[in-house]
Amino acid sequence: MILVVAEQRDGILNRATWETVAAAQQLADGSADRSIAIAILGSNTATAAKELAAAGAKDVQAVIVVDHAALELYTPDGYVAVLESLVADLKPSRVLLPHTYQTRDFAPMLAARLGRALVTDVMRMKTAGGDTVFVRPMFQGKLTADVSPQGPTPHLVTFQIGAFRGDQVTKGASPTPVRAMTVTLDAAAIREKPEPPFREARQAVDLSQAERIVAVGRGIKGQEHLPVAEKLAAALDAELAASRPICDAGWLPMERQVGSSGQTVAPKLYLALGISGAIQHLVGMKGARTIVAINKDPDAPMFEVADYGIVGDLFEIVPAMVSELTKT
Amino acid sequence: MPEALEVDVLIVGGGPAGLSAALRMAQLGKATGGRPLAIAVLEKAREAGAHMLSGAVLDPSSLRDLVPDYEAKGAPVSTPVGEDRVYVLTPSGKIRFPITPPPLKNHGHYIISLNRFVKWLAGLVEAEGVDLFTGFPGGELLMEGDAVVGVRTGPHGINKKGEHKATFEPGVEIRAKVTILADGVRGNLTKVLQGRLGLGAGRQPQLFAIGIKELWSVPPDRLAAGTVIHTMGYPLGFEQFGGGFIYAMPGGDISLGFVVGLDYKDPMFDPHDAFNRFKMHPFVRRLLDGGQLVRYGAKALPEGGWSTIPRCYADGALIVGDAAGFMNSMRLKGIHLAMRSGMLAAETAYEAVRDGDTSAARLQQFEQRVNDGPIKRELYPVRNVHQAFGHGLLAGLAYAGFALLTGGWWPRPMKSIPGHQRMEKLAAMPNRVTDASKPDRKITFDKVTNVHFSGTRHDEDQPSHLLVQTDVCHSICTEEYGNPCQRFCPANVYEMVMDAAASRLQINASNCVHCKTCDIMDPYQVITWVTPEGGGGPRYDGM
Repeated sequence: MILVVAEQRDGILNRATWETVAAAQQLADGSADRSIAIAILGSNTATAAKELAAAGAKDVQAVIVVDHAALELYTPDGYVAVLESLVADLKPSRVLLPHTYQTRDFAPMLAARLGRALVTDVMRMKTAGGDTVFVRPMFQGKLTADVSPQGPTPHLVTFQIGAFRGDQVTKGASPTPVRAMTVTLDAAAIREKPEPPFREARQAVDLSQAERIVAVGRGIKGQEHLPVAEKLAAALDAELAASRPICDAGWLPMERQVGSSGQTVAPKLYLALGISGAIQHLVGMKGARTIVAINKDPDAPMFEVADYGIVGDLFEIVPAMVSELTKT
Repeated sequence: MPEALEVDVLIVGGGPAGLSAALRMAQLGKATGGRPLAIAVLEKAREAGAHMLSGAVLDPSSLRDLVPDYEAKGAPVSTPVGEDRVYVLTPSGKIRFPITPPPLKNHGHYIISLNRFVKWLAGLVEAEGVDLFTGFPGGELLMEGDAVVGVRTGPHGINKKGEHKATFEPGVEIRAKVTILADGVRGNLTKVLQGRLGLGAGRQPQLFAIGIKELWSVPPDRLAAGTVIHTMGYPLGFEQFGGGFIYAMPGGDISLGFVVGLDYKDPMFDPHDAFNRFKMHPFVRRLLDGGQLVRYGAKALPEGGWSTIPRCYADGALIVGDAAGFMNSMRLKGIHLAMRSGMLAAETAYEAVRDGDTSAARLQQFEQRVNDGPIKRELYPVRNVHQAFGHGLLAGLAYAGFALLTGGWWPRPMKSIPGHQRMEKLAAMPNRVTDASKPDRKITFDKVTNVHFSGTRHDEDQPSHLLVQTDVCHSICTEEYGNPCQRFCPANVYEMVMDAAASRLQINASNCVHCKTCDIMDPYQVITWVTPEGGGGPRYDGM
């Protein structure tokens, strides 16, 4: 029997699970024991289990649900403990998993606990002399390796996302039976104490969507002068951006860098403060509709692309602009 | 556990030397039958040929031996040299050499793009089943005692602060019975090995030059395809080694560049500025007017010749190509010698691996092959020529002629003085005139603009690959030499920036075109070039 470990979060099935089922069907196709079981772990997994069962996928004999409060949030200890006892009960010949971040986290531990071979990130399978050989990438995909796991079964195999197609799972007419399995899981033995899933508080800046950008260059002289530009940006409701030296020095984060090694932007208004206009910067912003340049050096190449240019000291000009803009 | 790979022979560097070694070894395996050797080539560029820069005029002698049917196999050697011209430039005029000096005769040679040539060679190598790992730099040598047992590739995905990013991949250990170092001029691994094993003992120190090159597209009637022009004189003084080159390809494609010895005395001298002056000379300017800059690049060259080549074998290792210094500075050529040295190293390594003895004593046969073959035949007679140029252009030319007649005889070996030691302190040059030229942005460009045309890219969020002991910069260098790194670097990597009251060295490592000049020329030898994250660097399409 082949055991497929499904992946779900908050009761929603990860699509990569279907890809793994497709891989399992391909493996089952050539073997004497064609049976497949799908295990789903978690708490309140009824919907996901139903979805798995409804497909009635060919050769799948059972959807095994392990529902436990301690499995509500994923922990490697919890998953490994449950899967270890599942493997002991079901004695599968292979355990297949989608190569997700979660799998990557616990599969090596499970393999070590079981003392069984693990083949990861498999792209395809082939048969060589009756044996199944798993093909996986090496050296960032420059090479592929043919791996044939050795030693006692079950062998653990994880499949690269997209290597198999979920929509090619052979479905059947009648749904697969769902079987609940109870396992003894000692919550105290789970060493990890997961926090609620982290959600990024604020999306990182997306300069490419900004309508107005105030960009600073070396003319700003020091990090302590950044408020000069920040005030102008606030007055214009603009995003703050910078040329490479500013981000390189760490005065602003790298995602605010405009240019060939940063973002490419096309705002309606681009105000360049103290930016000389090296070609590397220009390629990142020359699509702006209106470019305003302020620079002390009248020969600065920035003036060649600017629609409006002011030759002068930004520390005099910018505060004057801010006070005009904020006049009520 | 980091991934590991075992091969029979590992070649570090996918240039003409490294790829010729790989191809020769694959050929030997095929010819003699038996178990084919496992061969791997590491190349730091994202794709084969991307870091290749040369003039280039190719002497096809080695190619003919390596790939006899190179024309049928589609070698990109479509421009045979038609005419050779040599000029001495004065500030506004030129004097043509009445005869082309024999070493500069290029009949039977080809004007090539080394980038395209190496791409082609890489295709042949891969077709032979050799694994070419592009985007993987040779980060460090794996050594057991004095024996080289392989290389660890550089890691990926480390941020500026040295922390692992989400994309982190540790370096891969590649263990090999023989490691062939083909890591180019001032190769980072060769430098370490040479220092550790004292491979330069009893030899002269290497001498270098920097070559700055541009590819231009000009109206096709300016210069007949196949024309090869070399210049001496302006904008250099008589005491300085160097000169210009202009090679014409079909369709108005022109390759032009300027080579300057990295042994100049004036710390305020700027090779890139000299290149700009060369381009503004009326003769050159007329060729370029109305044309367009296509590519830019720079690379150091090993000029020292025969007496500066280190011991090129060690336990488990061989050194080939520019890394060893197999270049003929009198003929301005090295590709054929790089290829030949790669082929000879391959033959040596192949036999050594087959016989299970890869000790230094066994690999010494490489030296024997170099001595018995065309490399020594070509380099030995001109062994003193570059050194003679150390005494100025006229002395150099006079000796070059003398060497042609006498086979390079001189009462005693001429000494090489490392170029960085020849740099004078500012105090010793009180009367120098500073008049840096201002780029017109049509024919001449500033360094930053030029870097853009080199196609150079590095991930910004990685540690600097230029290790500099910066405490020297403001304490003594500013006063003694005026921070010459700002000038000898052709890519604006080094900048002294005034922050409030103090100056600090800003290293724009992502501009680096991998020319190695800083590692060579810095007067205190406090700059060490190490490999950046794999795949970073210039993109020398068509160079």
